[in-house]
Amino acid sequence: MTKRKIFGLPFPVIAALLGVLAALFIIGLLAGPIGRGLLEQFGIKITFPSWLVVAQPAPELPSATLFKLFGLPVTNTVLAAWFTVIFLVVVSYLATRRMKLVPRRFQAAFEFIVGWIYDLCLSVAGEKNGRRFFPVVCTIFLYVAFNAWLSLIPGFGSVHIVNAEGQTAELFRGANTDINTPLAIALISFVFVEFYGLKSLSFSYLRKFFNFGRFFQGLGQLFKGKFDFMGMFSGVIEIVIGGLEALSELIRNISFTFRLFGNMTAGEILVLVAAFLVPLGVDWVVYGLELLIGFIQALVFSGLTLAFVTMAVVSHDAEAH
Amino acid sequence: MDVNAAKMLAIGLVMGLGALGPGIGIGILGYGAMQGLARNPEARGPIMTNMLIAIAMAEAVAIYALVVAILLGFVFK
Repeated sequence: MTKRKIFGLPFPVIAALLGVLAALFIIGLLAGPIGRGLLEQFGIKITFPSWLVVAQPAPELPSATLFKLFGLPVTNTVLAAWFTVIFLVVVSYLATRRMKLVPRRFQAAFEFIVGWIYDLCLSVAGEKNGRRFFPVVCTIFLYVAFNAWLSLIPGFGSVHIVNAEGQTAELFRGANTDINTPLAIALISFVFVEFYGLKSLSFSYLRKFFNFGRFFQGLGQLFKGKFDFMGMFSGVIEIVIGGLEALSELIRNISFTFRLFGNMTAGEILVLVAAFLVPLGVDWVVYGLELLIGFIQALVFSGLTLAFVTMAVVSHDAEAH
Repeated sequence: MDVNAAKMLAIGLVMGLGALGPGIGIGILGYGAMQGLARNPEARGPIMTNMLIAIAMAEAVAIYALVVAILLGFVFK
């Protein structure tokens, strides 16, 4: 009989692994509040060790101010954002210190990440524009992704300090969970899109939003003696469409902000709640989901910025109307 | 109906109804991606990338509902 291998490991190893996972799940289920309620109904009283009992999570949406610097409040999310920035700068410096043409492992890993984002820029925006848009898009991707990933390091939310008013707060909290960070990145992407739109097409870029040409054309026909009803009608419709486009540009900021904020905050609350409900059994699954979600949200933010700026620099006449 | 009961009802309804549309939308997106992948397995890269972006857009609507539910639960006492 040929030995069956699942995922590259022989069958008894997989069976043992599944058994360990099932045991962890059952222990976790019993130690959490569900199991304790169930055991109380049967009258069994087991005192679990303190490392297995998790306190009920009390998530707070606004982040706690830790101290004031030059009169501006510094919250725990700001500290986490500084940590991300320092981490990225140090890693980039170490990766490019002695660059070789045939890279070794660390430089090669960094080249893989940056090269992947560069290929994404080229594939969406084309050759020339891809190179122009690459810095901002790559910065947005790396900032959002590493904010999300670094907040998953064990111990990130566990260290508490007491701030000036005497409240205990976490020292670090993921920077994307504060609504200011997604709002800031969304505003930067808005300015980026408008800047490149205006730069490429100069002021005729605004014709996308204020499209009075057709209407005044129809109005001009009136003076020639012809009542061009269809022209004026479609002119009015084009004005309304232009207004809707302008509105949708502004609404995109809100949608960017709440997409990132909602995903990250919901993920943080989910990790806390999963650790509370089933302590050992399920929280590593939620952790893996959070890693994936961080990557996907970074990809979506930077990819959408790239798509919008590509649409903005395309000349308006080139589109088939 | 007192205020707390109404609040609990509102939180449940917001999240429940708000996840209906995006769930169906993401399913339709997955269906389209599977069909495209079955017809042309070589185009796996672009198909998966575009599917992820489209799923994240649909997911965002569910996240708006989640934000309203969290706001109702934790911010409005």
